[in-house]
Amino acid sequence: MKKNNMLAMILAGGRGSRLHDLTNKVAKPAVSYGGKYRIVDFPLSNCANSGIDIVGVLTQYESILLNSYVAAGGRWGLDAKDSGVFVLPPREKADANLDVYRGTADAISQNIDFIDAYEPEYVLILSGDHIYKMDYADMLSEHIENNADATIAVIEVPIKEASRFGIMNTNETGRIVEFEEKPSVPKSNLASMGIYIFTWKLLRQMLVEDMEKEDSNHDFGKDIIPALLNNGGNLFAYKFKGYWKDVGTIDSLWEANMDLLDGNNELDLGDSSWKIYTEDITTLPQYIGANAKIKRAYITQGCVINGEVKNSVLFTGAKVGNGAKVLDTVLMPNSVVEDGAVVNRALIADGVKIGKGAIVGSADSENILLVAADIKGVE
Amino acid sequence: MAKAFGIVNTSGNHIWVEGMQDYRPIGAFSFLGRYRITDFPISNMSNSDIDRIQVYAGSNPRSLIEHLGSGRHYNINSKRGKLQILFAESQAKNDIYNTDIAAFWENLDSIQKMKEEYVVIAPNHMIYVMSFRKLLKEHEKSGADITLLYHSVDNANTDYLNCNYLTLNRQNGVLSVSTNRGTEPNRDIFMDTYVMKKDLFIELIQRARALSSMYTLAQIVNIQCEELDIRGYKHEGYFAAVTNFKSYYDANMKMIDYENTKELFLPEWPIYTRTNDSCPTQYCETANVKGSVVSNGCVIEGTVENSIIGRGCVIKKGTVIKNSIILPSSRVDENIHVENYVVGKHSKVIHCKELIADVDTPGYVRRGDTL
Repeated sequence: MKKNNMLAMILAGGRGSRLHDLTNKVAKPAVSYGGKYRIVDFPLSNCANSGIDIVGVLTQYESILLNSYVAAGGRWGLDAKDSGVFVLPPREKADANLDVYRGTADAISQNIDFIDAYEPEYVLILSGDHIYKMDYADMLSEHIENNADATIAVIEVPIKEASRFGIMNTNETGRIVEFEEKPSVPKSNLASMGIYIFTWKLLRQMLVEDMEKEDSNHDFGKDIIPALLNNGGNLFAYKFKGYWKDVGTIDSLWEANMDLLDGNNELDLGDSSWKIYTEDITTLPQYIGANAKIKRAYITQGCVINGEVKNSVLFTGAKVGNGAKVLDTVLMPNSVVEDGAVVNRALIADGVKIGKGAIVGSADSENILLVAADIKGVE
Repeated sequence: MAKAFGIVNTSGNHIWVEGMQDYRPIGAFSFLGRYRITDFPISNMSNSDIDRIQVYAGSNPRSLIEHLGSGRHYNINSKRGKLQILFAESQAKNDIYNTDIAAFWENLDSIQKMKEEYVVIAPNHMIYVMSFRKLLKEHEKSGADITLLYHSVDNANTDYLNCNYLTLNRQNGVLSVSTNRGTEPNRDIFMDTYVMKKDLFIELIQRARALSSMYTLAQIVNIQCEELDIRGYKHEGYFAAVTNFKSYYDANMKMIDYENTKELFLPEWPIYTRTNDSCPTQYCETANVKGSVVSNGCVIEGTVENSIIGRGCVIKKGTVIKNSIILPSSRVDENIHVENYVVGKHSKVIHCKELIADVDTPGYVRRGDTL
């Protein structure tokens, strides 16, 4: 941890209930994205690429898959001698009962002992369910330069959408003078990305105080940041430019996948200087049949395509049968579109089978259709 | 503990793949876009519970060593197991003294240290799937001193040249091991795969050294045919030997048919390889891909037919790739026609607008070349 004396804590306990059936059995950070990734690969790879060696992952909701997934730190190169990914679900303690994490700040508070063991100077707090590439080392150097107590990453959003976000109002030096959660009349368009760097000594003290407060939500946005501002803390905004997406709904998850179809998309997963790492699944390369037709698609290994694929993203092991059509659709891992079936504007969940000749979704639907159970074929 | 340790042997100096072998041993040749040939013997061993494996590296070993690394990706226990990379062949590439026996002799110490009772030796230039667990069991059951794996073919007059073949009696006893000179179509091609006790293996190495410093393992086994109980075991399923450029091309091209992969890639027998963390492949609006195998990390704007595209390749607009193998990290620019070619790793086809070879003698663009 010597490199920059900062450890990272990834908040990965949320369900993401607006993703409906996709998060029935897995937490949102474990949801598949971009053909071969899971969402949590993004913060983890960013940590690895930013030279952060110790990463704690705070899990809670349906955590079996997520816990075993992130524990294999070698996937992101986080398995060197002084490096590791640590799964931190709520636990029973000698002086406290087993309790759930009551909020984002409480999740950190309950793991103060874990952080203390590494004696970091700075702690980076991240969300496990955002898609973006960011160099946290650059953010830290601004934090140090500003002699800040806390630095919050912000992104410019269209002003008319600003009332959906937590908005940071800053002065000309970038110092945060006011924080407003979902303001009806926003004064700026700098939205908080839920990425914070704190000087640990100060955060530790604030967390200890917050734990005792009965009226607190134990939440970074609602409690810790406002309290810091009220105390006259030195808070700075770190302006991020680039692709950033919080995929809360089926439509936005579908859209984030569709963003990859444009070869010049901002996320640029092909950039070899900032790779996103993920589980190494043993599969064949992509098999494209003699009668296949593929236009504008993002396809990963293990796929077998004999039909038509257009404007679609195909995940590991997806199969498209003879004469089948997959249009404006996301096929999640190991889903199958059998011979002659047509799928339009849909998101087909992991392992789901669309039977022969079935017709699913429609070209002019307003919303994206989530298909989470097998569809019978029509013979 | 596993009964046997494994040795992945070099291809030997009777085999040379023109062009490609100048850069890397055959084991490090790219196969089907994302594998290397060495993945097959090592996965066979790993899947057969053999987790102590010695890989003998010949000349230009860099790419082989990088690919093997710690062996972790081969599902080998990192504490109990071990993937050793051993060096030999300090002399020139085609030197007659560069035999596998010479390499074993130089590393006799580390062979002697192996605690397993048996050794399974498999080559780095042949592609097949075989349970060595089963082979060992058959070997023990038969009571033979040495068991040799073979594959019956009917095209030994045109293919498998310079491979060894076995002459067997009706009880599958090996009468001789000889070189295939292409005189007969029906042969039992020796798959350069041996099972024997470690002690016998060491004895053979010592005996070979005492007789002649030019002897190979296959030759000393041939000499022992009368004295020892040496038996053949017939292999079924897909088998390819990469012994020259054409056989390399053919072994790859055969796998374009998805049906054929079912013989080599079995659900219960994973073939492991090193991940490159490439992103998925981008098929653009103008892409037209048919009957092909495509790896991850590519950007495809052009037409690809009956071809294999390796990891991280760029095929630009208006370009046609036909009956070809584009090895990883290569780039073919706009409006170029490539047919019956193997385009070497990291090469760029930019200025040359037509690369067409005869279907029987595929062409080769050297590794890292710019045309």
